[in-house]
Amino acid sequence: MTYYVFTLVFFLFDYFILAMGLNIQYGAAGILNFAYIGFVAIGAYFTGVASLPANTLGQQYILGLGLPFPLNTLIGGLAAMLLSVAVALITLRRLRTDYLAIVLISMSLVLYDFCNNFVSMFNGADGLYNVPEPFAKTLGLSVNSFIPFFACVAGVVALIMWFVMSRVTRAPLGRTFRAVRDDHVVAAALGKDVFRMQLKSMMIGSFYAGIGGGLLIQFGGSFNPTAWLPGETFVVFAVLIVGGAGNNIGMFVGALLVETLLIHLPAFLPEIPGHPGLIEYFDLAVVGIVLMLMLWFRPQGMVPESVRRAASFGASERPDGEADDLELGTPAAPARVAFESGDPQ
Amino acid sequence: MSGAGLLGSAQSVSQAVALHCEGITKAFQGVHAVNGAAFEIPQGQITALIGPNGAGKTTVVNVLSGAMKCDAGRAFLGDTEITNWPSYKIARQGLLRTFQLSRELGGLTVLENLLTAPPHQAGDSLVNVLLRPGSIRRQEREHAERALHLLEVYRLYRHRDTRARELSGGQKKLLEMARAVMASPKVLLLDEPMAGVNPALIDLIGDYILDLKRSGVTVLMIEHNLNVVEKICDYVIVLAEGRTLATGRLSELRENTEVVKAYLGEVMDAGAAR
Repeated sequence: MTYYVFTLVFFLFDYFILAMGLNIQYGAAGILNFAYIGFVAIGAYFTGVASLPANTLGQQYILGLGLPFPLNTLIGGLAAMLLSVAVALITLRRLRTDYLAIVLISMSLVLYDFCNNFVSMFNGADGLYNVPEPFAKTLGLSVNSFIPFFACVAGVVALIMWFVMSRVTRAPLGRTFRAVRDDHVVAAALGKDVFRMQLKSMMIGSFYAGIGGGLLIQFGGSFNPTAWLPGETFVVFAVLIVGGAGNNIGMFVGALLVETLLIHLPAFLPEIPGHPGLIEYFDLAVVGIVLMLMLWFRPQGMVPESVRRAASFGASERPDGEADDLELGTPAAPARVAFESGDPQ
Repeated sequence: MSGAGLLGSAQSVSQAVALHCEGITKAFQGVHAVNGAAFEIPQGQITALIGPNGAGKTTVVNVLSGAMKCDAGRAFLGDTEITNWPSYKIARQGLLRTFQLSRELGGLTVLENLLTAPPHQAGDSLVNVLLRPGSIRRQEREHAERALHLLEVYRLYRHRDTRARELSGGQKKLLEMARAVMASPKVLLLDEPMAGVNPALIDLIGDYILDLKRSGVTVLMIEHNLNVVEKICDYVIVLAEGRTLATGRLSELRENTEVVKAYLGEVMDAGAAR
């Protein structure tokens, strides 16, 4: 029972991190990143090859640094971030909205095929396995005690990353991301370098994807292409849409509802007699239906993007006079402007 | 007359030029929207850009503000050549603009729309966000003070926490102007600031534009309402078929047969018909 509960808790925190990363890209900056799962995978693979020793029997991979947690995970995050720079340079300068989404999903497929078939990089279709469990040897953790321990580690990491992300989204940087999302022409006309802003958003989001992927491979000890089929991107999108795009707390709610309750909880439910595995097979179908219902009835998500009120900026409040509000919808008496004498009229 | 200064030669010696362009040409699939437009905008004055529909007025503003690249010609902001610069670089040089159809940042509040405008914000840097939250907070407070004051002036204070997409058409026009002013522009391009607004608001916007002039901002505004042009604009540029047809004061242009034939006659006839 403890194993089940803490597995769910781990996925809750991990998808919270992943959803925050996608949220800064799509929810804040409006980048429809359909390749998101590719960045998660790169984070997982690089964390794996940073953790594994130089030579492991039966596996082929690059690096093999044998680094401990959290250095290995940071390398995963940075690798995903670097990939995002390359992807942004190729795509963001010329593409937006649907065209960008099509190109990104194509890139995700290329990356998938590459990792699946280029065996010497991340061991091809077999993927990486026997990835060391962080602190397991140092603390003498058994298989059963490692799961609650690492779920707590993921919780601490998620908390730190939520704190940082809240600071980013609340800062002028987050506001500029939202300005670019709402109207990139206006943002540029106000002196904002739209490409640079989108690049920043891609980098931050991909770093989060990489960290989430890094935790994932260390939790399970293995990672292979079946874990990141391109369709998995849409699970993270479901977390984001159900939770509420543009709101970090919403990402936690989305992760709880979609990833924990809809995706992983069914695997722990009792089997239907005569239909083994049936419940588990339907998880994505249920997510799809929930997604459609949300978009139809509550597109803003469970916790909508919040408004930052004037009072929170610390500026002095003014009396809220009635007189300052002009009835702009109805014609009123003209000649508020007193033109100088001699002005032609 | 093409490419000439707005003033007579004696006056133009003493009148600094804030913005000028030479031979601006822009074609869309072979059709010339602008075909060699050339003019000067005197510093600290209000200049109207008028002309019949399809004359290329908005295209010229798009080219000058960097929203579009021109096929030929040159543009200068003061002494700096800005031809085909990206719009964010031009804005950072102090040339701001508004749009013919109001373009608010709909998901942001009215106050946040204004807070997006000031240049060189420390909080746009990730390093500062992570390492210098105190200085960002201070700068934000200063910007918020100024923005709230502007919202008072522009009669939007009560809507400061409203998402901009929820404003009425007239309020969006005011928001766009206030947002541009928040960026402390040297030159402001206004694309039909009075279009589609009621008479009370026309006068109010006119007043704001005169205030901008008083504070030293150079204004170039596209406008069809000749009463407004007559009241608030110092100089007028007439565009027709993508070319600069004439420049000068409106009273002078009323005597120009070419201008009357190409535009003013049409406008005056329309006025008489009403």
